[in-house]
Amino acid sequence: MDAPVRVLVADDEEDIRLLVCVAVRKAGGTVIADVADGAQALRCARAELPDLVVLDVFMPEATGLEVCEALRAEPATAGCRVLLLSAGASPDDIARGLAAGADAYLPKPFTVAGLVAQVRALAVGTPS
Amino acid sequence: MTALTERATTAPHLPHHGGPARAVPALLAAVATAGLVLLVTTPGTPVLVGAAAAVALSVAELARRLGAQLTAAAELETQRRDLLTRGRSTAEELEVATRMMRARAQTMTSVIDAVTEQSIIGTDRDGLIRVWNPGAERMLGLPRADVVRLRSITDFHAPEELVGEDGPAPDDDARFADLVHVAQAHGSDVRDWTYLTADGRRLTVSVAITPRTDDDGEQAGWNFVGTDMTEARAAERLKDQFVSLISHELRTPLSSILGYLELVMDDEDQPLTAEQRQYLTTVERNAHRLLRLVGDLLFTAQVDAGRFTLSPEDVDLAGIVRAAEETARVTAAAREVELTVEAPAAGLVVRGDALRLGQACDNLVSNAVKFTPAGGRVTLRLTTGWRDRDGAAVAGPAPGTTQVAVLAVSDTGVGIPTGEQGRLFTSFFRASTARRNAVPGVGLGLTITKAITTAHGGTLDVTSAEGRGTTFTLTLPM
Repeated sequence: MDAPVRVLVADDEEDIRLLVCVAVRKAGGTVIADVADGAQALRCARAELPDLVVLDVFMPEATGLEVCEALRAEPATAGCRVLLLSAGASPDDIARGLAAGADAYLPKPFTVAGLVAQVRALAVGTPS
Repeated sequence: MTALTERATTAPHLPHHGGPARAVPALLAAVATAGLVLLVTTPGTPVLVGAAAAVALSVAELARRLGAQLTAAAELETQRRDLLTRGRSTAEELEVATRMMRARAQTMTSVIDAVTEQSIIGTDRDGLIRVWNPGAERMLGLPRADVVRLRSITDFHAPEELVGEDGPAPDDDARFADLVHVAQAHGSDVRDWTYLTADGRRLTVSVAITPRTDDDGEQAGWNFVGTDMTEARAAERLKDQFVSLISHELRTPLSSILGYLELVMDDEDQPLTAEQRQYLTTVERNAHRLLRLVGDLLFTAQVDAGRFTLSPEDVDLAGIVRAAEETARVTAAAREVELTVEAPAAGLVVRGDALRLGQACDNLVSNAVKFTPAGGRVTLRLTTGWRDRDGAAVAGPAPGTTQVAVLAVSDTGVGIPTGEQGRLFTSFFRASTARRNAVPGVGLGLTITKAITTAHGGTLDVTSAEGRGTTFTLTLPM
């Protein structure tokens, strides 16, 4: 049996962060850390090298887009899967997210079922 | 001309046709004949006779030539009089034309000078300023005397905006070419530019650039008519930021509400009682209502800002109409409103954005259901039709007509008073019948539906009778 996918969750809204953690667990993943800003997310990602990083776009210290670009720029973290969550739901918002290197983009409000499905889809083929 | 005039001024001394003019050569001929007779009748002088004959001939010839010259002089006199008459007439016409030109120029100047809220700047073909109205003085802070024939229009434009395809323009000619190249290619150009004022301020100005022609229709230069939009654009940016902030701040808590509701309602380990489920379903329905409102506000702001874009593809409009009916079916049944669909079984394909067209159909159908009392009927009828160039419905194909998809959403509801129908598509407008009957809504649905229809090149029309019902007709090109 495959090892559970290791997930880092970053969102400045605690309620949303906890909701994402629940969805990750429902998808069979393990939350290795949940953090509240972009700088912490980047530090944690460099230290823990998670399989999947779930990032809110609008966060203090560094936005989800900036974190995503930084992860892609570094060889050690370039292979991490990235799922962006954002209240920005326009086609332009989604295009900007994907251009920053995200593997998927889920506009808020999302359904738990939809998030579970995304985590499962991104977990497929991760190094773990 | 001078010679003609001089000769003409002596003309009154000359004899006229049929009068003394003809008498002079006749007199000479008579004198010559008398001399000849005198010589011939003098005996013994044959030589004299011959000489006299020669003199007589010469005199006759002279008389003939003199007669011809007199005739020519008379003709010249006639021509002179004719020319004088024409000259006087031309001079009068010229004076009238000059007066009219002066009056026209004065009118133009007074009109241009009366414009104080817009800058009107005219340049020659190289950008040198030739016209500078009070509006330009006020906007840019320089009097006409300091600018006309002294400054180039590019002096008042932010240099970083005068950048062509090859990068920043190296000199003033190139900068001016960058400024007018779109108007040169398309005949006119209207867009925002940054004007630099004499006291160093930067203004956002909507400038219409058009070519200026002379009386022969040749291009003489360019006109730049500008409206200061600095405050308006700043207000638009603030509104955008506000809407974006509100959107984010409302969506985020809604994410929590809906997400945790889902966890509770779908928890198989701790099933809800029927009563609990009913309560939470109400919470969920209202959360979705709030979410739609946020989406509508954001979309309206995008439309207002001109940032509304479509993702066109081939779309089966019949499928979209049926989906709209399905979405409204539960609500219609709960309100005891009969809902029927008539759409081509084979489908009806149009070019459009499926998501937005679905939104437009949903709005029309949900509105119809909302405004129809129990026992009423809502009908969705999708057909094809033909429109002429003016958009009027025609019976069938003919030159200049195009085939269109026509969706008519009819209800037997409360109707809309005639006097209010023209304002239906204005943001936040609510018909008096809606307020009177306490029909929920904020007045954005029809604004959005109209914007979507227009963006697809279609039309949205309404016919309604108060107390009898309403039909919205959405027409889309095929």
